[in-house]
Amino acid sequence: MNPPDIQEITIPDTVEELLGGEDERLDVPWVVIVWNDPVNTFAYVIFVFQKLFGYSRAKASRLTNQVHFEGRAVVANGAREKCEADVARLHAYGLWATMQKDD
Amino acid sequence: MARRTFKRARDGTLKVALYAQEAELLAMTARDMMTIVEEPPAGDVRDRLYPRAYLDPTEEKAQGEYEALVHDDLVHSRRAALEAIVDGLDTPPNSRGVIEIALRPDEEMQWLTAVNDARLVVGTALGVNEDVDTDYERDDPRFEYGVLYAWLTQLHFELVTLLLDEIGDAGSDDIGDG
Repeated sequence: MNPPDIQEITIPDTVEELLGGEDERLDVPWVVIVWNDPVNTFAYVIFVFQKLFGYSRAKASRLTNQVHFEGRAVVANGAREKCEADVARLHAYGLWATMQKDD
Repeated sequence: MARRTFKRARDGTLKVALYAQEAELLAMTARDMMTIVEEPPAGDVRDRLYPRAYLDPTEEKAQGEYEALVHDDLVHSRRAALEAIVDGLDTPPNSRGVIEIALRPDEEMQWLTAVNDARLVVGTALGVNEDVDTDYERDDPRFEYGVLYAWLTQLHFELVTLLLDEIGDAGSDDIGDG
């Protein structure tokens, strides 16, 4: 058995890296928020919620009403990476989406 | 548009029928949009096309990573969608002066998102909101863009209505990781 190749051993630069990556990326839940905007139509936003998230018409309509009348709605949640992917898909459809930690 | 522009064909494709003048307006809009999606003017239009993922100013690093990961793909998919419209409409009109084409499913989504992107840009530039309509007076410099916005909205609404009918009512009632 050969000794391990010294080049394969990487030394963590920081305590943060040593402890397994970036701070709170562990298990903190995130939420995806869609904000009201004056251009996207009700029908289109309902369609996008059904298409991207598989929501029923009733669920997608409730969320769209919430976006319109309350200014924003939480439309998805999960780990950071999953939420980033959801935000990217919503941006590709022209919706105004952001994400934040679930308080 | 008295007649229907979009119609589902029996072979599953989506038939589009536009008068030559409408097709020309749409292709011209799509060509103009190519520059805008690649180099949007700083300000409202850029913020609307490419919003931040993180509003929290302490997430600047994550925001930078999001942009590095997503921005170029977003630009490319928008550009490709606009090209699909321009290329698709590059067809001679029939004897009634109508351009008829058939869209594959991926092209349907390209039309849907690209026409909406044009609405976002024109609507944002005009400062459209729920209390202001786009019926400008003829001598108003915004008149032509107001007409364009209303026409794009009508076109988009017709397509969305058809797709909403098709997607139906069923689906999940829960927000979750599923």
